Amino acid sequence: MTTRRQFLKTSALAGTALVIGVRWDGDLFAVEKASAVFAPNSWIRIEPSGKTILTIGKSEMGQGVRTSLAMILADELDADWSQIDLVQASPGPKFKRLGTGGSWSIGGSWMPLRTAAAAARAMLVEAATARWAVDPSECTTANGMVTHGGKSLKYGELVETASKLRVPDKPVLKAMSAMKLVGTSQNRLDGHALLTGKARYGIDVHVPGMLYASMERPPVRGATLKRFDAANVHGVERVIAISSGVAVVAKNTWSAMKGRRALITEWSDGPNAGFNSADHMKALHAATEAVVTRAEGSFPESADAIEATYEYPFNVHAPLEPMNCVASVRGGKCELWAPTQAPNRVQERVAQALGVKPDDVEVHVTLMGGGFGRRLNADYAVEAALLSRELKQPVQVLWTREDDMRHGHFQMAAVHETSAVVKEGRIAAWRHKYATTYHNVNGPPGADEQKDLAAFYRDISWGVHDVPYAIPAIETSFGHVETPAIWIGPWRAVYSPSSVFARESFVDELAHAAKADPLQFRLKMLESANDTFKSGDLTVDRARLRRVLALAAEKSGWGSPLPAGHARGVACNVFDGETHTAYVAEVSVPDTPREGLGIVVHKIVAAIDCGVVVNPRGIAQQVESGAIWALSNLMNEITFTNGRAQQTSFTDFPLLRMSGSPAVIETHLVPSHGEQPFGIGEPVVPAVIPAVLNAVFVATGKRIRRLPMRLDA
Amino acid sequence: MSGMPSFSFTVNGRRRTVEADADTPLLWILRDTLELRGTKYGCGIGVCGACTVLQGNGAIRSCQTTVAEAAGKKFTTIEGLSSDGSHPCQRAWLEEDVSQCGYCQAGFLMEACALLARKPNPTDSDIDDALDSHVCRCGTYPRMRKAIHRAAKQT
Repeated sequence: MTTRRQFLKTSALAGTALVIGVRWDGDLFAVEKASAVFAPNSWIRIEPSGKTILTIGKSEMGQGVRTSLAMILADELDADWSQIDLVQASPGPKFKRLGTGGSWSIGGSWMPLRTAAAAARAMLVEAATARWAVDPSECTTANGMVTHGGKSLKYGELVETASKLRVPDKPVLKAMSAMKLVGTSQNRLDGHALLTGKARYGIDVHVPGMLYASMERPPVRGATLKRFDAANVHGVERVIAISSGVAVVAKNTWSAMKGRRALITEWSDGPNAGFNSADHMKALHAATEAVVTRAEGSFPESADAIEATYEYPFNVHAPLEPMNCVASVRGGKCELWAPTQAPNRVQERVAQALGVKPDDVEVHVTLMGGGFGRRLNADYAVEAALLSRELKQPVQVLWTREDDMRHGHFQMAAVHETSAVVKEGRIAAWRHKYATTYHNVNGPPGADEQKDLAAFYRDISWGVHDVPYAIPAIETSFGHVETPAIWIGPWRAVYSPSSVFARESFVDELAHAAKADPLQFRLKMLESANDTFKSGDLTVDRARLRRVLALAAEKSGWGSPLPAGHARGVACNVFDGETHTAYVAEVSVPDTPREGLGIVVHKIVAAIDCGVVVNPRGIAQQVESGAIWALSNLMNEITFTNGRAQQTSFTDFPLLRMSGSPAVIETHLVPSHGEQPFGIGEPVVPAVIPAVLNAVFVATGKRIRRLPMRLDA
Repeated sequence: MSGMPSFSFTVNGRRRTVEADADTPLLWILRDTLELRGTKYGCGIGVCGACTVLQGNGAIRSCQTTVAEAAGKKFTTIEGLSSDGSHPCQRAWLEEDVSQCGYCQAGFLMEACALLARKPNPTDSDIDDALDSHVCRCGTYPRMRKAIHRAAKQT
């Protein structure tokens, strides 16, 4: 189970431990004894040469976190940006809660990293003032240097003195107005390595004596191996059955893959072989037992109620780098090289599987060729460790593309039943029943969650219970359909994509029913005496939402004439009570559907309010990424027959390609405000689909209520 | 290993001879044998483009080219484009800050090089035609398009 809250509880960065009550001792305040370098905490090391090594405690999967976290540290430290080197944190005594998900890397790291950097900066100033016998308040810092009047000392010259000083308990942070790097567009620090073939992903790890494995896994979740026959498998080292499957082990990748093709396995399918996604969709429609997640006013039993039902299919992450891991188990210790979003979970799960202590499992976090939530689990690492133990040699287990799709931790399918009453151009009553499945990759809800299932279900109903519009009568509910036959896990934007697709499409239906402009209708429904309200843990700020809607409208030229056949659609969302977004999409629908997406998306205009803006260019990249991700989501699905995922590769699970990519994707940021930045990688996904489909409705009169989009249906 | 045939070809200007099963895809020879791991595996069936390398000036799928077919030919991988990132495509990619996870980018870069070799000033439609055989899950297409136009101006 990985709800957002729980994810934060279990996976937050070590530094954020302050926030959740674990002491920073031994972490922020541990000064290393060696004085050759200045290392006041786990995050910062400055060498006499001035080289400044920053530790990144979040996993990089393309979202740019290594760059933005470095910017935060370097800005507060007043480091020389050209002297920055990055190292990736590994789980251990200093880093007990590494984990990357929920779009919380920047938000959660912001204060801890600034505090760490401010402490280091104060110590460097103190070291300089000791030399000069001046007051610290008369000194300034910039570009890796402390200055007093005409005198300057480089940080590198101060490391020996600074390393002997006491770390201040409460270092003074810079004023927001004094930030120099934060708020400026910076290119990705890893860019050069990524474009010269030097970047090392999990798949690229090679350790001496390493073998290569390809593994045949149970065709259905829970199936058990009856027998295997390797008589026709040639040119390999070993064929071994372990708990997770039958591994073909060879001296190189190709021999392992080829050998596996000749392997015969027979399985007992077990109880899940009857699972079919078409039947599951019927079960979601039929989900009658619903837990109320929000109730305000009473829904009038009106004959005039407008009703619509939306269907969202299963989906899969399909990162370009398939799952893989290198493991080396020797003498009760294990070393892993893992492209993982959850290094501590990998450490714990592997330790459990091997029956050793977590401290005996060392995890090196590699770059990832995409993650999107799939790499929050540890299955790919556990099987590599178990296999290495059997082989008594290091081994890389590499999944094929087909393995990656068939053995996914799938995005859950959902059905949304919506109904509403519109009176005098306003929504008078709103009902939204959401039927789906919680993430089951980590088991059922825990004891604490069982105590308050309404809160638990609300927590996985973002986009439903936090409907931002000011409506007198609101009833939202959650209907749970158990799906033990397949693994369900977190996916980009977690629970939001289906919910926001349904909500923002339905609001659009109501606007058209009221013969109102969909943008003006939303703005009007966001007018209220209370600009902010809480639903569950989430705070929605209607003023911020109106502001991003107005910005998107202005920048897209909402209402201005368009070329013949073009149409605009709008949608907005508050992601998990934090980043506020509004999108306007401009589309046309050719008479003969275009290959791929079918429609032409000419332009997507995004207006984003994420509080403090750290790296505008990084945000723009994520807006582009989220838009293209969502457009792919219009095209593809995973279906199940007899418990087996039917899609195998990018042939039957198509992704948007260059020709289908919008010609223009614009990012407009509400100017940096407040003291807290919020996430971006996921918030940029949910409102895209309804904005596009609302435009498709204007262009064609067809309301798409089911994904993937079929215009001819 | 005994009994395995040997094959010779040129990679990044260097003559290489390898012993391997004749049906081994060039991709795995590059990655596992020659340790040129900048070329990536994405699908193994030629539909994602991550494994694209140059054969002469043309782009090929190294997962669909066997080592036997590679014999006698000349290839360039991302490592051979330039190790310092000075190739016009690499520079343009950096200037447009194209990469996100970066995993598919070597394949796209090689395809873009092949495109620019045959069409020094490609139109958007040329770019679509050339790059539609690749996928990028992070969605870097708009920046890639700009980078290719930028590289065209620089060459």
